[in-house]
Amino acid sequence: MNREGFTGFSRGEARTRTATSLNFETQGPLNKLMRLPWGFILLIAAMALTGIAMLYSSAHTNPVEAHLWKLQLVRFIFCFFMMIGLALLPLSWWMRLAFPAYAGTVVLLVLVELMGVTGGGAQRWLQIGPVAVQPSEFAKLAVTMALARYYQMVLQPQSGRILVHLGALAIILLPAALIFKQPDFGTTLALVASGGVVIFLAGLSVRVIGTAIIGGVASVWPVYQFVLAPYQRERVDTFLAQLFGGATNALGESYQIEQGKIAIGAGGLNGRGFLQGIQSQQDYVPEQHTDFILTVIAEEFGFLGSTALLIGFAVLLGWSLYSAARSVSWFGRLASAGAVATVGFYIVFNVGMVLGLLPVVGMPLPLISYGGTAMLTTMACFGLIIAAHMHRDEKLTARGLF
Amino acid sequence: MSKKPADLDFAFTRRTAIAGTIGGMVWAGLIARLFQLQILDKERYQAQAEANHIKLQLAPPQRGRILDRFGRPLASHRRAGRISITPEQTDDPEHTLAQVAALIELPDERLARIANEIRLSRRRNAGFVPVTVAHELTYEDFARMNVHAAEMPGVNVEMALTRSYPRGRDFAHVLGYVARASQDDLVRLTEGMSDKESETLKTMFRHPDMRTGRQGMERFAEEWLRGKPGYRKLVTNAHGRVIEEIPDERLAPTAGRDLFVTIDSDLQRVAIERFEGESGAAVVMDVETGDVLAMVSTPAFDPNDFVNGISTASYAELRDDTRSPLYPRAHGGVYPPGSTFKMVVATAALESGTVKPTDRVHCNGYYHFGNRTWHCWKKGGHGSVNLHTGIKGSCDVYFYEIARRTGVDKIAETARKFGFGQDWVLGMTGGRGGLVPDREWKQRVRKESWYEGETLNFGIGQGQLGTTPLQLALMTARIATEGKPFKPRMIGIGPQSQDDHTLDAPLDPEVMKLMKAGMYGVTSEGGGTAYRSGDLGLGGPRLAGKTGTAQVRRISREERLSGVRSGSEIARELRDHALFVAYAPADNPKYAISVVVEHGEGGSRTAAPVARDILHFALKTDSRRKPTYSQSASLPKSMTDDGEPT
Repeated sequence: MNREGFTGFSRGEARTRTATSLNFETQGPLNKLMRLPWGFILLIAAMALTGIAMLYSSAHTNPVEAHLWKLQLVRFIFCFFMMIGLALLPLSWWMRLAFPAYAGTVVLLVLVELMGVTGGGAQRWLQIGPVAVQPSEFAKLAVTMALARYYQMVLQPQSGRILVHLGALAIILLPAALIFKQPDFGTTLALVASGGVVIFLAGLSVRVIGTAIIGGVASVWPVYQFVLAPYQRERVDTFLAQLFGGATNALGESYQIEQGKIAIGAGGLNGRGFLQGIQSQQDYVPEQHTDFILTVIAEEFGFLGSTALLIGFAVLLGWSLYSAARSVSWFGRLASAGAVATVGFYIVFNVGMVLGLLPVVGMPLPLISYGGTAMLTTMACFGLIIAAHMHRDEKLTARGLF
Repeated sequence: MSKKPADLDFAFTRRTAIAGTIGGMVWAGLIARLFQLQILDKERYQAQAEANHIKLQLAPPQRGRILDRFGRPLASHRRAGRISITPEQTDDPEHTLAQVAALIELPDERLARIANEIRLSRRRNAGFVPVTVAHELTYEDFARMNVHAAEMPGVNVEMALTRSYPRGRDFAHVLGYVARASQDDLVRLTEGMSDKESETLKTMFRHPDMRTGRQGMERFAEEWLRGKPGYRKLVTNAHGRVIEEIPDERLAPTAGRDLFVTIDSDLQRVAIERFEGESGAAVVMDVETGDVLAMVSTPAFDPNDFVNGISTASYAELRDDTRSPLYPRAHGGVYPPGSTFKMVVATAALESGTVKPTDRVHCNGYYHFGNRTWHCWKKGGHGSVNLHTGIKGSCDVYFYEIARRTGVDKIAETARKFGFGQDWVLGMTGGRGGLVPDREWKQRVRKESWYEGETLNFGIGQGQLGTTPLQLALMTARIATEGKPFKPRMIGIGPQSQDDHTLDAPLDPEVMKLMKAGMYGVTSEGGGTAYRSGDLGLGGPRLAGKTGTAQVRRISREERLSGVRSGSEIARELRDHALFVAYAPADNPKYAISVVVEHGEGGSRTAAPVARDILHFALKTDSRRKPTYSQSASLPKSMTDDGEPT
């Protein structure tokens, strides 16, 4: 196979684009705004608004939660403008921010450990003034940026060394360990997984990957036996039991999954219609407005609705990955791809959990689930992806740590 | 080993494609799972979503009330706290029951019974029907249970509507009472029904709020009062606890209809009070409309005691009471009418033409017939007696003579024209027809022929003849109306008995006028047996009546000779019953009454004053005035005793 020829095509295309983008660049900031990928942005907005509608549907009968959709709408509008702002940031700025953001996140994670607020059985929240934040959410973006920044620094001069990837692994594992200790198994998994994707894309050799996979599979049993907390083990047990059709206590741990599955199944092809879901309207499914929001969509809009949602996500992520591949800088490529992986794993974990394919890991559905921090992280990820797309031809040179 | 940047670029592109492909496969897997859940397994999950969580709970209809002619409730509803356990909503009903027992006082015997009921309920696959644990909770118990109910799945603490009889004992024998349907009740109620209908009915009657009429109008008008059951659409969470009720008009139960009776409950009360603790019966009728205004039988039981099941001990007490409070005297008590029957005998004699009003009979105190001697109540006799003085002085000898001349069959036929020998239902249960004997009856039942001597006893209302106070009032009304067709009724709006008919057999008005004259003489002329009771005390209207004495036992020859016939010398339960029938006002009859005072001895001394006072009240308050139910088409909404609409 002629590798040169193929590479040449992509570089040639890049050159053409460089010329056009330079032309636009000269015509001022308004034109930059117009060059934003508006189709992509509108799809994001449409999906987030769908999520708010579903939030209304799931919570409007509950007096305590009835107002949440308004709160979520306000958050979305804020995050939307933040995303546009982030999208316009040149990649060099992103790169300068990468290590400080990473350092800051690690500090916050340590603070959580020391003085965090316990919520839902784990110490995840940090009260900063009036807002409670989940530093573990920020960690996903920060790690992605830090990894991209790291590879930008090391790949150009001395690419391909296996040892190079050890540094990347360290960047991932430091916050991952802190998050795992909270304990938040799901976020840890997502962080390691999306970090792993970045390392894979950065060119880790196939042999090492194969070894890692074998090692990972081998470590499943020891991790289950010695690392997981009892409640986490219980969840895995429940998951396995329901996956293989074993007897589960319908009122116990698997109740949420069971009720969720009933809601999804009851939706059928077309669904029961907006605000018409039996399960959704009666609070059968715990956490339905957060992690189990998919059950509302599935019940009220059926197979067509839930598939449309997944296809919407696929379009967002596919376009993002394609855009990442076209970036000339390693930072642009890897940060963008890492953001895609972060959002992608959110979706896979959440949907897999709700559909009973994965254990309950407490992962929100991006853009759709209720929750401020997840919304912030997701929108920041899309901001980074758009920024990488806008500045795909920007040549970057990494000097020092900033 | 170092690679050229171009190689790295290519590797990145390739790996991106690989990552994208893997992602696409994962996505396809998720969509496949959605397809499985939402398309392939749809039926199962939809069934679960529908069935698990929307429960239809049987909702009993509210029983109709029973109201008197002026809309005053005789049978209504009262709110009372109640605890029940729904067996299917708790994993361990025994444990739940123990939890409840720890909070309120429950006798062990009752606990065992409830535990058994719960087991039965589960066996019948009817675990969704709540089993009552305690009713009529005190306020403290109700409050305490309410606080703790949330911790005990399957335990319901609620306000239930309980059947209530605000007039207590006053209408025990008229209204009867309701009770939980027994197996016998269910068999009776489902007779002739299809399997499906009867199953629905049985399920409904298992509900703790459901009662069925066991006696009286409650039983007679059961279907009118019952209504149709509905369902409550309840949403439950995964634990089976009811989260909310979805209102659904189409499923709501249809309340039973109110039943309006012709009784004036105030008149009833006054009449009962007037008996001053004596046992007896009184029936008051409006002679123009046939409305029964009072139907008194005293003593009586309190139907409220039966609604939630009466204890065996309390029931035994009622049953064994020598004064028989369970005995419906007014329509089920059969008494010899004594001298009150003499108008019937006289009517028969006059109508048959064997006797003229002016025919005279000489009474010297006794009457010989065959080889026996019959006595007149008046020692020494009445002397020369005609129809008028015969009735006025209630001369036995006169009636021996005319009865003998008239013959038993003619008297019996006439008696039936007055309504004797028939059970008048009027919406009640437990009524009896009494007995009007004749030759045919004696031959059929006793297999003997009729003796002429029996006709003599018949002539003074003794012997085999048995009548109820209700029949005596009917007789009086027929005389007062001078033989116009007469139909008694006690249900104003509601189902009417098919067995009751209009008394329209012709009676000669001229004869009736003579009867009235005789009855007027009784209360208002010298020589009348109830001369002192004629004045109603209303400055004008008088009553016309007839006294009677019903022998409780045969008077022996020795007693008659020794003169011991009355007073404290004989045991109370052996004393004669005192009877009095009357109508008022004498010149323009509106009311007819019959009164029996058991063991009251003399009609004139004890029964007549009772009748006089009841008629006094009826006339004074105009008991027969137009009933409210006939005035307005719009009936009042169902209400509880405390006046709250329900």
